[in-house]
Amino acid sequence: MSQEEKLRATNHYLYYPDEKNIQPHFAYGFRPLFLVLAPYMVISMLLWGLIFSGGITVPFIGDTLTWHIYEMLFGLLTAGLLAFLSTGLPELFPGLVPLVGKELKNITILWLLGRLSFWTMGWTGVYLAAILNLAMLAWIIWFARHAVLDKLQRHASLGYTAVAIFLIETWFFSAQAGLVETPPMDILKVALGAIVVLILLALRRVNMEAINELMEDEDIDDVFISRPPKTNLALFAVIIFTIVEFFYPTSSALGWLGFAVSAGIIGITGEYILKDEKILHLAYVRYLASVYVLFAIGYALMGWDLLNPDIYGLNHFRHFITTGGIGLSYLVVMLIISTVHTGRHLVASWKTHLMVLLIITATFMRGLIPFFEEYTSALYIASTIAWTLPFIIYIKLYFEFLLRPRADGIKG
Amino acid sequence: MKFIIKILKDFPAYLWSGWGSIASIFLFIALWDMGNQLYGDLVLPSPLETFNTLWMMLHDEEVLYEINITLYRAAMGFGLSLLLGSVLGLLAGFFATASMMSRPIVTILVGMPPIAWIVLAMIWFGMGDDTVIFTVVVASFPIIFVGALQGTRTLDGDLNEMAKSFNLPWHMKFVDIYFPHIFSYIFPSWVSGLGMAWKIVVMAELLATSDGIGASLAVARSQLDTPTALALVVIMIGSLMFIEYIILEPLKREVELWRS
Repeated sequence: MSQEEKLRATNHYLYYPDEKNIQPHFAYGFRPLFLVLAPYMVISMLLWGLIFSGGITVPFIGDTLTWHIYEMLFGLLTAGLLAFLSTGLPELFPGLVPLVGKELKNITILWLLGRLSFWTMGWTGVYLAAILNLAMLAWIIWFARHAVLDKLQRHASLGYTAVAIFLIETWFFSAQAGLVETPPMDILKVALGAIVVLILLALRRVNMEAINELMEDEDIDDVFISRPPKTNLALFAVIIFTIVEFFYPTSSALGWLGFAVSAGIIGITGEYILKDEKILHLAYVRYLASVYVLFAIGYALMGWDLLNPDIYGLNHFRHFITTGGIGLSYLVVMLIISTVHTGRHLVASWKTHLMVLLIITATFMRGLIPFFEEYTSALYIASTIAWTLPFIIYIKLYFEFLLRPRADGIKG
Repeated sequence: MKFIIKILKDFPAYLWSGWGSIASIFLFIALWDMGNQLYGDLVLPSPLETFNTLWMMLHDEEVLYEINITLYRAAMGFGLSLLLGSVLGLLAGFFATASMMSRPIVTILVGMPPIAWIVLAMIWFGMGDDTVIFTVVVASFPIIFVGALQGTRTLDGDLNEMAKSFNLPWHMKFVDIYFPHIFSYIFPSWVSGLGMAWKIVVMAELLATSDGIGASLAVARSQLDTPTALALVVIMIGSLMFIEYIILEPLKREVELWRS
């Protein structure tokens, strides 16, 4: 390995903890989390499929659909968020010691316990699930406190959003426990808005790292800088939309706000048009751009629905945001981190194309159900399978990266 | 030719950069919708109703005829002020005395409220095209005149001297030294002049004619037909935005590239 490559690899962190005998799958934050997250996505989708088709019954407290949405939003988020932060923060704040070894193992177990408490809630009660799941998010916020306490406040927005999500989750559990009156489904819609905010904030950073890495690999002599204004405009629109939706869920003003969010988010893709060089032909740039496009389609369709009295598809269209935008952002971030942070070059292949295309196909099948009502159940099944397949492929292709030491020989 | 190809090549990227503006326009429309919910349809019709009315109006031959009349008046008025303002402003800029003299006159022209011009024009020209066109010229001419004057007044003397000592041929002097500088002053003034012309033409029509968008606006007012009134406003704003952002702005960007 050349000196220069070594230097680039160690850019990911300044210090590596002194712990002895760290196994490769606990050598860096994202490793164990992706090792449990990908199979969990597959298994839980299978379980949900069986539950909604009546194949099995799992006793939840109250409405099953609400808990399904909860789990798809918060359950997956905590693992994804910790993987992102524990990998990204040591890079953004050189001096922060990466999360590895025993501590990492414990936090992964906490996440698994959270999942267990979720599925066994019918017997163990809502309070245990609340405590374990909130503890996980609280721990993440504690871990990411450097971002909030940073004097320059460069990445503080991530921390503040995480705190907001923690409060929303507490609110949700309080509602489920009967401590507050708010309908849990309304709280989940607020949560979705907050999660979209978090993902847009995170993607801005992922974009910068991944695209500059790609450009270096491709010998493209330019720098990709994602400046805040475009993202901030989109964030502002998302926040306004979320607040208005909570208070006036059927207002026609919300319809126009949906279009505003859509335009704001699609506007972020303008950053991919550089002054001198072209990067839109790079596969990973297209993958990342697709996340924004799916979000934008979702909000635009919701806006259209709210302004058009003849369409009843609001919650179907919302799947462009959840199944589509959020699902694809998980997949693409998993692909990028699992490759770059195991010391490999980011290379796209027909397999990665297929994974991304499957998520997009699943999204269209799920989101456009209102237009093909006669095929509803077939579309449900097909979209579930199409959405799960990429994560099965991920397990097949990327688990060996996660289970072995870095390809370039350095620690982490 | 190279210049036009460059503009066309950069045009898609420029258009794509407009999403942010579209987002803020939608935010504004949402605010308008909230105003409608607060104050009711009579005071402020909903955006949806307005756009529906607009859609129907655009399929109505009569309305298209009115729009054409207004466009003709605005184009004539603006064209005249563009020609007069640019030529006279450039000339005045070359002579210190002339620019000194023209200053107070411009102040008088700018200071006089357009509504007063309309009254005078109605007395001078009667009710019709001439009154409207005259008012438009009077209102947007001084803006363009001042822009052109500033452009020539602020030409860089050092660059001029350099051009002289290198014996540059006159056309190079014009294309590479004078034109970019003057254009960077005169072009923004054209844009503001156009905006002014667009606003004044409706106002003049409202008071002084029986046809055109302004007159339709007066009819809508007398019938308390707020959706039509707003739809007419949307037509004016929409066409102004189209001309400014789709035609003029890409031109301006290419011409002003030298600045960065």
